[in-house]
Amino acid sequence: MRILVGFKVTPDFESLREADWIAGEGNLADGAGVETRYVPRLLNCFDESALELALRLRDAAAGRSFVEPQLSAVSIGGSQVEPFLTTLLALGYGRAARVDVGADVDFAPAAVASILAACAHDSDGGDVLLLGCRSGPGDGGTVPFRVAETLGWPCLSQVVEIEALSGDDLRVTCLADDCLLRVTVRPPCVLAVGNAVVSRLRVPTLRDRLARRDVLVDVLRAADLGIDIDLLLEREPAGLIGLEAVRRARAGVVVGGETPHEKARHLLDDHLRAVIERL
Amino acid sequence: MSLSREAIVEGLQHIVGPEHVVTDEQVLVQSSVDNFRKLQNIFDVHTMPVPAAVVMVQSTEMAAELLRWADEQGVNVIPRTGATATEGGLESAVPDSVILDGSPMDRIIDVDACNMQATVQCGVPLQALEDRARELGLTTGHSPQSKPVAHLGGLVATRSIGQFSTLYGGIEDMVVGLEAVFPNGQICRIKNVPRRAAGPDIRHVVIGNEGALCFITEVTVKLFPYFPESNRFLGWTLKSMTTGFEALREVMVSGFKPSVARLYDPGDAGLHFSHFAADDDCVLLFMAEGPPGISRATADGIQAIVDTYPECTQVDSAYIETWFNDLCWGPDKIIAEDERIRQTRNVNRTTEISADWSSIGEIYAAARDRIVAEIPDITMMGGHSSHSYINGTNMYFNYFFNVVGVGPEEETTKYYLPIISIICEETLKRGGSIVHHHGMGKARAPWVKDEYGSSYYMLETLKQAFDPSGIMNKGTIFPI
Repeated sequence: MRILVGFKVTPDFESLREADWIAGEGNLADGAGVETRYVPRLLNCFDESALELALRLRDAAAGRSFVEPQLSAVSIGGSQVEPFLTTLLALGYGRAARVDVGADVDFAPAAVASILAACAHDSDGGDVLLLGCRSGPGDGGTVPFRVAETLGWPCLSQVVEIEALSGDDLRVTCLADDCLLRVTVRPPCVLAVGNAVVSRLRVPTLRDRLARRDVLVDVLRAADLGIDIDLLLEREPAGLIGLEAVRRARAGVVVGGETPHEKARHLLDDHLRAVIERL
Repeated sequence: MSLSREAIVEGLQHIVGPEHVVTDEQVLVQSSVDNFRKLQNIFDVHTMPVPAAVVMVQSTEMAAELLRWADEQGVNVIPRTGATATEGGLESAVPDSVILDGSPMDRIIDVDACNMQATVQCGVPLQALEDRARELGLTTGHSPQSKPVAHLGGLVATRSIGQFSTLYGGIEDMVVGLEAVFPNGQICRIKNVPRRAAGPDIRHVVIGNEGALCFITEVTVKLFPYFPESNRFLGWTLKSMTTGFEALREVMVSGFKPSVARLYDPGDAGLHFSHFAADDDCVLLFMAEGPPGISRATADGIQAIVDTYPECTQVDSAYIETWFNDLCWGPDKIIAEDERIRQTRNVNRTTEISADWSSIGEIYAAARDRIVAEIPDITMMGGHSSHSYINGTNMYFNYFFNVVGVGPEEETTKYYLPIISIICEETLKRGGSIVHHHGMGKARAPWVKDEYGSSYYMLETLKQAFDPSGIMNKGTIFPI
């Protein structure tokens, strides 16, 4: 089985200065949007889950004498993506590639889907395409479905767990509105990972990095995948047109009382009892 | 004959009332350790002796009574406030210890804008004092990474230092006076004066005692005017730590007082600055603050010095300002980090030392190389200098390792302590100090005699004089 994980590297929005959100308004005319240059880059959290789940499938295969899946990873982006790809190589991903399209595709889900579908179609692509269900602010969460549609593969969303069965079958657990669905699927398929319990990617040792230092990251152009990126972006003329701060402050009170017992009493009498009685 | 656990609890309840004595098993187990056994805490695996009780200390007089009783009964006492220690100083090394928790003593007694000093009880969170000072346009100047969670008593007890130390100094430069209680119940107040030459400066008996001599109940610290609008940020990338130390030294010996002066090696820089620094880049950065004229002159002076180093490539100051705005660790970051460790078993540890300018580069390189060669499963080995002086600087080794093949309870013995051992050995070999600002705790206590040399006589005599029964925080500073 070949597993391809598509991931996105995003700015650490939590670290943005307020000024950089405000500055975004001034930059909108230039199409620059929010100023994210000054913050570190992170793996999109859902993609991080996907990358680790793929490694766990590989580990599980080794433990159960299954055929070990071949792991590949791909991301769309410039040189800032490379450190993440070299980390994946050190963790045992057989191939790590970035597609440098030379354009901002943050608001072009159809273009992103076309690129990822082309990667999956590539001779070194995958039978299983693992993606995060969505990425950072502004993402509509449609990419996995668009990729599946382009490929003509089934798509399972809100995936939280994946288990290898005999043969190439997978048992996939998905989070639905009020239940967990367990589905057995036979690849090819697209799996969109949601709020999985596994949310952190393991870390390679310095020796792992040394051992894989000669394995290079593949750098592809859109044209290498038979894609005319300009044409795709022309069909998808979307962009950031405005920013509005959302105030998340919540009303609060300081619970009075000198001792923990008094405070607990005030909390119960003044704030909780009425709520409990209503229940 | 030592008291039974039940008799200890009974004795404590008799002195302070049962409402101030916590015997909840979960609290006791969690109180048996501090962040030194981080992995054990995260996995809820506890191996240290469980304390008999945690006493929530309400007043200086209550602390005096408790200590007098513990001294008479030979009960080990561990003072704490914010419980953010990282070096095992709050671990219960012996069974049936009693934790004296000063966090209920959380009153800001006085903020004196005329004399530029604030007096607080030991359990006041530093953030609370800083917030109050800011309302008056003032600052404590003290900003350790633990500012959102640490309390003043503990900060003084561990000889803390903040991120702006190059301008404001360490806590020892800020403490004007204090109140402390000794094991015999003696309450001592050191008055608040600008300076004194009436014999030895006995503040330093208390500052940094780590609960091994006394219990700090009140401190008075200096305040400073706060000029955030004047802050200036400067940053450079460069390829060599040696050049970085040279530039840092030149800034310091030229008399400039930036509030932040840091040099990151490539490993550590990769954690914070990978969005503008290459993976083999060091990062040198400064922040100047104060009245506008001083801030401008400081920044200009530093700029002129670093400009003479052609290896240094200046970066947009917004990179440094953004980094600066995200420095402190509140509960949210701590929880996220714990979850990361829980899933990956990739543990981050730090060990800080200091040395003169002639030795610091050698210590850094020797310790780094040995750790990478001798310790298994290292995923990142790096460090930075973050507190500089006219005669030297510190090195804050920052390292990550995967815990492989052992349970959480063996993380310290397989990885952490061997790394500490290498760092201490390489530091002592070159005349440095094995602890810059985290305190000795129990983790580095085995090296205390090597650290002090012939002056250990003075340290040991203090212990014998103030704590003759040896009830104060056994194993901290002085190994068992």
